[in-house]
Amino acid sequence: MANIEEALRSLTSAKQRTILALTGIIIGIGSVIGMVSIGAIVENEALKQFQDMGVDVAVVRREFSDKTAEMKLQDIFELKKHVRDILEVAPFLGSGGEYTLHGKKTYLEQTGVTESFFTLNMIRLREGRLITDLDAYRCFCVIGKAIGDFLRGIGITNLVGNQIILGDRIYTIVGVLDHVPQGGMRPCDINNAVLTHITTAGRFFQYRSIDSFMVRLGGQKTTTEIKTEVKDYFNKRSKGLSVTILTAEELIANMKKQMRLFTLLLGAIGSISLIVGGIGVMNMMLVSVAERRMEIGLRRALGALQRDIQTQFIIESVTLCLVGGVIGILLGVLVSLVFAKLSQWEFLISYGSIALGFGVATAVGIFFGYYPARAAAKLDPIKALRS
Amino acid sequence: MSMLKAVDIYKSYKVGPTEVNVLRGISIEVERGELLAVVGASGSGKSTLVHMLGLLERPTSGDYYVEGEKICYDDDRALSTLRNQKIGFVFQQYYLLPRLTALDNVGLPLVYRGLRISEIKEQAMAFLRKVGMEDRAHHRPNEMSGGQQQRVAIARAIVGKPSVILADEPTGALDTQTGQEIMALIRKLNEEEGITAVVITHDPKIAMHCQRREEIVDGLIVHQDQREVV
Repeated sequence: MANIEEALRSLTSAKQRTILALTGIIIGIGSVIGMVSIGAIVENEALKQFQDMGVDVAVVRREFSDKTAEMKLQDIFELKKHVRDILEVAPFLGSGGEYTLHGKKTYLEQTGVTESFFTLNMIRLREGRLITDLDAYRCFCVIGKAIGDFLRGIGITNLVGNQIILGDRIYTIVGVLDHVPQGGMRPCDINNAVLTHITTAGRFFQYRSIDSFMVRLGGQKTTTEIKTEVKDYFNKRSKGLSVTILTAEELIANMKKQMRLFTLLLGAIGSISLIVGGIGVMNMMLVSVAERRMEIGLRRALGALQRDIQTQFIIESVTLCLVGGVIGILLGVLVSLVFAKLSQWEFLISYGSIALGFGVATAVGIFFGYYPARAAAKLDPIKALRS
Repeated sequence: MSMLKAVDIYKSYKVGPTEVNVLRGISIEVERGELLAVVGASGSGKSTLVHMLGLLERPTSGDYYVEGEKICYDDDRALSTLRNQKIGFVFQQYYLLPRLTALDNVGLPLVYRGLRISEIKEQAMAFLRKVGMEDRAHHRPNEMSGGQQQRVAIARAIVGKPSVILADEPTGALDTQTGQEIMALIRKLNEEEGITAVVITHDPKIAMHCQRREEIVDGLIVHQDQREVV
């Protein structure tokens, strides 16, 4: 206790030098914490999106290498009958662009879907009704939350029943959706989408070929087996059509791998700052030892053991690093908070990273304080006193 | 049994190729309750002698006993402990730590005995009172005069109830008047508290305060004197 008090006193007595030495540590710890926290926030956000959609979802994509073979809507609907472990299919057709709604321009994604699309993507309705398969070929649409807010913003209060013009067609709004988190397996930003039935879209869109569709997997077979069955099915239906299937599990695994790499990379940058900071601390401690030779000599004369002197200086350098560590942790948390706010993601404090921050600060203090402390302890008391 | 006993102490340093003999066969004994002055000109070896007596310097040859116990110089830990418990230093330059208050400076030797902080503060205060500095307990050294600093340093030397205090030119940095006061304080502590003290000085007037005086010339004790104290 007395040692820590003593260490703090000596640190505050050389404020400027302390602050300079601390800068490196603050930046180092700050970047480690910030980076690890941001990594955790990103990972959490990515996983959250999968968690609310479930991990039994997969996307089947047409391989672009082969331009002639088309994925026909009929074949997609019939897939369920031929592959028993496909519980549901949700084909979609989309085109995004700038549209003028009631005189105001906005970006939206016009997407053609089926009834199953809503259940597969876990989309909840806010008002009105959803598009059902009975809406085939009809100009009904549901709009995403952001589009709804946009229309309200320009003074349209009764959304359901209102009409909007997209291109040269008039669509009647039958429903408004709740907010849907973006990302994961979801094919587009549903909040900014105007959804019609896929057959309607198929008639009016310029680009009508289906590139991918979503499926829900189930049953006892392994994913590999299902994949083979799906591939065989399409190959049989349309000569030369080859598809790839990406399951949510695979996507999560890929993302986690990517996150780990990201976190490692950021950690490495932080470590380099810490080494630089540590050298700063070591330098400060060496200066401190040189300036306090009289004190060291005196303490030895009064009966301090070499170990006492060594402990005193190590405590001092650890205290220095911990002070830098606390500021660095605050800085890192602040950086990740700003990051989370900017990306509108859920902010979370990674307690593991804070513990890591304290651990790293202590380790840096001990490691870089050891040599100066040892040098102080080894001083000849008489020579130290005389200087 | 004597408090300190040095037998035939030699000390030499190598300065470049030449060997300098600083102490050339000194034998000296300090009895319990004694106030001894060692007088010598600068360069006579008196500082080396006091450092040797204070276990800060290892003699080249000769034996040294503290309270009858022969000193083994190979064990740094044991030497530190002996310094802490048996020796109290008073230096010419006071050597108070500038960042600490008078009270904390006095308590320093006790810190290395592992005492509790409250106990250390209590004892340090008691010893500040003995040197008449209790009202300066919370002042830093730079807020005190030289004489006051030396009083605090004396309190620090005696706070651990050592066997002997070694004062190396305790008045060397002070004016005559203050120097006399410091010597009077050491003498008072010797007479009233029975503290054994060795005062190293170049000044015969300072040495006059002591019952016994030894003179050191060129690393040898040359003269013993049993004159009355002035």
